[in-house]
Amino acid sequence: MTSDEIKDLILEIIEDIDDEADFASLDADQPLRDQLDLDSMDFLDIVMELRKRHKLQIPEEDYPQLASLNSCATYLEPLLKDA
Amino acid sequence: MRVPLLVIGGGLSGLAAAIRVARFNSDVLLLEKHVRLGGLNSYFYRNGILYETGLHAITNYADPTEKKAPLNRLLRQLKLPRKKFSFCQQLQSEVIFRNQTSLKFSNDFALFQSEIGANFPQAIDKFQHLLAFLTDFDPFADAPFHSAKNFLLDLLQDPLLVDMILCPLMYYGSSVQDDMDLSQFAIMFRAIYQEGMFRPEGTIKEFLDLLVDHYQLLGGSLRTSCGVDRILHQNKKATGVILTTGERIDCDHILSTIGHDETFQLLEKKSGLEDRPADHHPRLGFFETIFQIPEQSAHHLAKNKTIIFYNDAERFSYKIPQDFIDFSSGVICFPGNFEGMPATDRREIRSTHLADYARWKALAEDPALYKKQKKIAARQSSQRIENIIGSFTPNIVYENSFTPVTIERYTAKIGGAIYGNPTKTKDGNIGFSNLFLAGTDQGFLGIIGSMLSGVSIVNRHILPRL
Repeated sequence: MTSDEIKDLILEIIEDIDDEADFASLDADQPLRDQLDLDSMDFLDIVMELRKRHKLQIPEEDYPQLASLNSCATYLEPLLKDA
Repeated sequence: MRVPLLVIGGGLSGLAAAIRVARFNSDVLLLEKHVRLGGLNSYFYRNGILYETGLHAITNYADPTEKKAPLNRLLRQLKLPRKKFSFCQQLQSEVIFRNQTSLKFSNDFALFQSEIGANFPQAIDKFQHLLAFLTDFDPFADAPFHSAKNFLLDLLQDPLLVDMILCPLMYYGSSVQDDMDLSQFAIMFRAIYQEGMFRPEGTIKEFLDLLVDHYQLLGGSLRTSCGVDRILHQNKKATGVILTTGERIDCDHILSTIGHDETFQLLEKKSGLEDRPADHHPRLGFFETIFQIPEQSAHHLAKNKTIIFYNDAERFSYKIPQDFIDFSSGVICFPGNFEGMPATDRREIRSTHLADYARWKALAEDPALYKKQKKIAARQSSQRIENIIGSFTPNIVYENSFTPVTIERYTAKIGGAIYGNPTKTKDGNIGFSNLFLAGTDQGFLGIIGSMLSGVSIVNRHILPRL
């Protein structure tokens, strides 16, 4: 997966969690949680969906790496390079 | 047979936990001892008519736009679209301390504030301080028991106001006599006064069916009439269960929603486990009656009151009575008085009072006497609440009462104590590496609370490791 495909994947997962999520003014460098009104329970869904869809086991200490859309792409790119 | 996760108890916390996990891993097995799901909020049939048990109202009402409200967070976590449900909001409820004063409240918090301003003008500023305190207070932080009553007496300086604020919160969720934990108070205050009450337009059966269909579509498995005889464990790790049929099921994780001591009863069997924390605190039992009268004889009964919390005594007392039942206070619920509920040909009234489990349990040895006492108690209840809502006893066409013994029989809660152990296990950790507790004894109460309990314990302890 390319960096852009990973970002699309994350947005698709978020849309699945909250079908009213508004991506129009999303800043890819800013934390997703604040911008999209997600709480820690919603955030766990992103991790669980990545595991379900791509068999990715993301350790709890790495969760902060998924904070913004760009940091997701950076963190996940090597893990999803063959996906 | 082996499953990654076994959920014991098909009440609302167990169902929510099982759904939450099934979203990501369908290998979940939910076990329910009773023939029906729902636990404390279930139903039964008499002469082909469905009657609900437990449910008066669901707390934590929120509009669909309030994304962070517990109700909407819960539905998101379970991936249940809000539009699948049709919710009816309460019309208006009231705390009535007879010969003293009353406080009305609704899903518009401003009503409660103005009622306090009108009836307790000297305390309204202090009440605002309470609201400011609650805004900043984190009720979910692990903290030892702190008396909400003492806290409120210090802050509000008015024992009557304190009792009136506490009365509905205690009746809808305190497992502690004459008090409640401050964290519990903060949660319940928000759930009942600031968010408010509602119920599904349909019956609790339809609500449960919707959850079960969703769970099964996600691939989750379910067994009803399936009792667990004991939990197998070694070195503080659960390895599986033996069912009452003798069947063995191995598992990697167990979530128990049946209560703290109820879980330890299954752990102790033939295992010699001796370090169960002692349970010295008395458990609160309740007596509830369903009355139905024909709609044509109900014209004089209030159509705009949903729930009335009353107290006739000089001081409100929330403790095990010195008799079978304490009729001096209680809850009166009109299940039909929610906005938009479909019309029916019968008006239903439900009453709830504190009851002494020990007395009812002893009496149950003699079924004839027990039955007679139930009948007497139902009559005392209807006559007592007539003082508040008006006469209806002569028109009763259906009546059914549950004692703490009935509740114990159908829900397997020790002592029929619907709010469980007075000591809560907030983090769900009971000293095992892969066996956790959710539901009533975790400490979130009410339907939304118990479902969030199942979800949050699964999120915290099980999903990251499954």
